Amino acid sequence: MSTNNQQAGQSVDQSTHFEVERFLVQEARALDEERFNDWLENMLTKDISYQLPTQEVRYRKDSKVLGNSQTTYLYNDNFGMLSMRVARLGTGIVWAEDPRVRNRRIVSNIDAEWADVDGEIEVRSAFILFRSRMQRDQATHYGIRMDRLRKEDGQWKLASRVITLDQRVVLDKNIHCFF
Amino acid sequence: MKPINKLVQQEGAIQDRSIFWDEDIYQKEMEEIFARCWLFLTHESIIPDDGDYQATTMGEDSVVVARQKDGSIKAFVNSCTHRGNAVCFSDGGNAKAFTCPYHGWVFGMDGSLVDVPLEKQAYHNDIDKEALGLKKIRVQSYKGFIFGTFDEGAPSLEDYLGGMGWYLDTFMDAPGGAELIGPPMKSILDCNWKNPTENFIGDGYHVGWAHASALEIAGGPLAHAKGNAEYEGVGLQVTVPEGHGFGVIWEAAAALHAGPVYEAYQKWLDERSPVIKEKMGEHREKFYRGHWDAAIFPNCSFLYGTNTFKMWQPRGPHSIEVFTWTLVEKDMPDELKQMIHTDNMLTFGTAGILESDDGENMEQCTQSNRGYSTRQGTLYLGMGRGMEYQNPELPGLVSDGWINEAPQRGMYRRWAEFMEGKPWSELSTTAQLEQKK
Repeated sequence: MSTNNQQAGQSVDQSTHFEVERFLVQEARALDEERFNDWLENMLTKDISYQLPTQEVRYRKDSKVLGNSQTTYLYNDNFGMLSMRVARLGTGIVWAEDPRVRNRRIVSNIDAEWADVDGEIEVRSAFILFRSRMQRDQATHYGIRMDRLRKEDGQWKLASRVITLDQRVVLDKNIHCFF
Repeated sequence: MKPINKLVQQEGAIQDRSIFWDEDIYQKEMEEIFARCWLFLTHESIIPDDGDYQATTMGEDSVVVARQKDGSIKAFVNSCTHRGNAVCFSDGGNAKAFTCPYHGWVFGMDGSLVDVPLEKQAYHNDIDKEALGLKKIRVQSYKGFIFGTFDEGAPSLEDYLGGMGWYLDTFMDAPGGAELIGPPMKSILDCNWKNPTENFIGDGYHVGWAHASALEIAGGPLAHAKGNAEYEGVGLQVTVPEGHGFGVIWEAAAALHAGPVYEAYQKWLDERSPVIKEKMGEHREKFYRGHWDAAIFPNCSFLYGTNTFKMWQPRGPHSIEVFTWTLVEKDMPDELKQMIHTDNMLTFGTAGILESDDGENMEQCTQSNRGYSTRQGTLYLGMGRGMEYQNPELPGLVSDGWINEAPQRGMYRRWAEFMEGKPWSELSTTAQLEQKK
């Protein structure tokens, strides 16, 4: 189905861009509203890879990988692991989430290009996630997401996401929230 | 500040709430505990080559740990001796020297001052570079785990670990030894540093309740702990006079892993057990197969089996930075190490499903003491008091079952000894305790 206007690296057309933007906004809304099962079942592919590597503060000219260091992923989840997190939130006995955490996601700077696989799209977007807990407990997370979207049954779905948080020290007691 | 014997009473069972809040007590802790104790810095396997280094903190002091040309490891304070600026701004890496960005003083990887701009023209060659090296830190390694102390008078690291060393050898001295996977995750908690230390050192009590949701979902052999099932006889708690301690659940090392990770890890444990028994005897084979919640006084904690390894870095009386590594045995296949690393993130990483249960509790345990009248009260760690005993074959004091508060009491007894400013010669040791057997 590859056509000249779907070459890898080329920006998507206006109507596709609109679909991508709608998808990201609706996804953010589903997560804000804690519709986690909706997110899992209708917005993610079953082979999803969901990753959030830690930042490391290094000098520009020093890229040596130290000893047995590996990329440490705060999230390195597949569909099963994401489902487990969602199932836990549904147990009703997650004390840290009760009263609920109020999450607000802002998604912007959306840049969508056709991927190297037919019909798939690579999307880069910037995000801010505000978390409010209890009376005046506040945390703000921001960074970028590199997404891969694929159409299944006529719907765009998230096939992979790599999240980059800009903070080295995560200024929050946990990031058990989806980005 | 009240006298120390009012801050901790009844053999560590009663703590005055002010020790979790007051600034003057916190500053005294920095002086009497963090400037004296051996504090964990990094693991040798993270800085194997000449010039490899890691930046970390000891208390609130910024320090750098670096591998030297001759293979040894040195550490120094990350503050230029000219005007005090930091000389290292990265998490770690490989370097030949550190140059202060303010005036360009250059320090070698051993902390010595090697170059001063305009030395001839402006200092007229009259500067004692030897006396102006970065402040040195005493460093020792225990089986690859590098610790530092500011106290030249402190006993050896091995003596500091005291009775805990015998237990740590279970995995640190297993053939090939143990190592950490870095770089560490870093996050914050608005709690006092003692709250998470006491949680890891012996709080088996919270597991079934605080982590009920994770235990229900994670499955695995620990799922039955949900909602406080009976635990009589399934574990042991240990406290040593040096203030360290742990609780163990027998036959549960891999229990917080599920599915293929559990199977691969259990297979590893089964294959290695005879080797451990041969090298270190029956007791430690049993410890090797158990799951531990543990702490090395004052602020290093780990879970053996789940394999999370943490430092609670104090940032004022009501805040800490949490550094988290993954603990593995060196001889494990790379694939198993990777699986354990991923699982550690899933359970006790910054986005971990058990970590998030603990964070809120730690914070509120500290923050409630903001209230003046609340703070006038005391807190209670009396569970299982008087049930500690000496086992002729095990160092320190042990208690049957893994739910009691003996290790926490031991930690606060040690805290009080340090806070009284006692010299090292008057601090309790496992060796003294052994003489009573």
